[in-house]
Amino acid sequence: MSAHSMKMRRLIPILLKEGTRVVDPQHNNHTDHPPAPPPLRRGVEDQRIVFEDVSKFYGEVLGVNRVNLSIPPGITSLVGPNGSGKTTLMNLMTGLVRPTRGRITMLGIPPDDPERLFHKVGYCTQFDSFPKGLTGYQFVYSYLRLFGHPHLVADRLARQAIERVNLAEAAHRQIAGYSKGMRQRIKLAQAMCHQPSALVLDEPLNGLDPLIRAETIALFRSLAQEGRHVVISSHVLHEVDAISDQVVLLSNGYVVAEGQIHGVREEIHEHPMQILVRCNKPGDFASRVFQEDYLVEARILPDGQGVLVKTRDADRFYLLLNRIAQGGINIESVAPADDDVLSVYEYLIGTEESTK
Amino acid sequence: MAVHKRSYHRYAGEITPPWSRFRIVSRYAFENALRSKTFIAFFVLCFFYPLGCALALYINHNQRLLAMFGTSSFFAVDAKFFFHFQNVQGTLAFILTALVGPGLVSPDLANHALPLYFCRPFSRVEYVLGKLFVLASLLSLVTWIPGELLFLIQSTLAGASWMRTNLWMAGSILLGSAIEILLFSLLALALSAWIKRKLAAGAALLGVFFFGAGFGQAINAVLRTNNGSLIDLANLIARVESQLFRQYAVRPVSIPTDWAWLALLAISAFCLLLLEKKVKAYEVVRG
Repeated sequence: MSAHSMKMRRLIPILLKEGTRVVDPQHNNHTDHPPAPPPLRRGVEDQRIVFEDVSKFYGEVLGVNRVNLSIPPGITSLVGPNGSGKTTLMNLMTGLVRPTRGRITMLGIPPDDPERLFHKVGYCTQFDSFPKGLTGYQFVYSYLRLFGHPHLVADRLARQAIERVNLAEAAHRQIAGYSKGMRQRIKLAQAMCHQPSALVLDEPLNGLDPLIRAETIALFRSLAQEGRHVVISSHVLHEVDAISDQVVLLSNGYVVAEGQIHGVREEIHEHPMQILVRCNKPGDFASRVFQEDYLVEARILPDGQGVLVKTRDADRFYLLLNRIAQGGINIESVAPADDDVLSVYEYLIGTEESTK
Repeated sequence: MAVHKRSYHRYAGEITPPWSRFRIVSRYAFENALRSKTFIAFFVLCFFYPLGCALALYINHNQRLLAMFGTSSFFAVDAKFFFHFQNVQGTLAFILTALVGPGLVSPDLANHALPLYFCRPFSRVEYVLGKLFVLASLLSLVTWIPGELLFLIQSTLAGASWMRTNLWMAGSILLGSAIEILLFSLLALALSAWIKRKLAAGAALLGVFFFGAGFGQAINAVLRTNNGSLIDLANLIARVESQLFRQYAVRPVSIPTDWAWLALLAISAFCLLLLEKKVKAYEVVRG
């Protein structure tokens, strides 16, 4: 078996305990909405981003509705089509818009307490919003001063943040002359320069070339590994899949699924799990597995080197694999074929809204 | 589930008190204003009249010159003198506001920079205060500060008895200037917040004064009333200042002074309302 599938097998019980859930948006209305997560102990709440039954309406227009989330440290991706409520959710986290209903706490701090909140939270908006005439260094430094850092501290923190996003050489050039990728990175620097515990980043990978994108993703990983919350929104689904510890899928202002992507996929029962099995006797393998009633489809791959299986019960199928392997068929690898963000996105939100 | 052990250290050093942070916004706004040569040239020009007045006060008390011309004084230094000074400097302050004010908020709105300010421990009130501080300090330098300096010079030259008798004028200079500064600043900020183009915001500020005066007079003429003067900002300020400096005969009474005070208060409140509507991290566009 491949390392990936082995890892997945180990993860499933933990995922269920962690509360991976899929919500049917059709039934997520005023009378039937997702239940609020059980109340968290005070100490736990202080380490999480918590939404309790949060709704935001802009007049009659829905921003987000009845959102219940409890986000632990690590990289969390907000995924959804345009207008699904990603930016609203981020603005709610940072107190830039107030909820119409419900309660939010960021690491135990309500967003309407900016003096405490923003020392712990850094926000990078999706706009290229740069006051005219500033250099990259001045941009980061001046906003650090708004946090109340004295000159010498602000200077040191600004330099550290700029170095961390690899912009030290261009720090004293005007931002107006920066490329799109450099602008994204200086925005990241201003969001993380005050050493926050949580970073909220709206579309941070937009406009980055592959090399810088890889560097930026590595930066997110290192920030997460330090125990910080890194909340990002993105349309680039394969990247979200690669970097996220957990995802929040949004559609039309509703949270349609949240948790680790593999766990989310497990919860989607109406779509059989697709599993790719590489083996030496695909015909024998297909005939053997097709005897099981939970098997929906077994299709031999065009190269004749494996079988794509669709099953309603992945756990039982994995147990069956052990028996098949003992029966003389050499199984080279087993890998889930549709437990990535793209598949889950298509199953839950629909291919017509799939952005990429 | 990924487990991340907390290994980072948050900044735990000293920070400046929250009340002082509005000055950061002001500092950058000053830097921007000082980049304009037109502004600097006009700002310098604003000090010519006060310097001329100071020189005139000196000459007015120079015994040799007075003896040479055989007179006890060249002119009377009284409330009329300071009222006139206030009018001249008020006009210059207004032009200065038109030069600086429109560039204060509109670029931040055009650049979507407001979320950057407000995702820090920095409130909308502090933002407006920071911008207001720029105009207030610049306008102070051309209105009440030279006015009070002239009062002090005259007091020094004329003696303590003159100062005791005319001390109320120092208060009038301060209050009159404060009204001008607040009104001009709030108007400029409100227009700057609603009109994204700097030039258009400047033109709108001039328009509010000049078209307001013209429109007010038209209303007065057509409707045979004096109430049109309530939208004539120059007239409102003049009415209030004529009361402060006890210069009742300077302008014909078109509206009661109490009404002028109320109208100025209402205009200031309206400007604050406009700012409240616009200075937000995110603008919600409906429809």
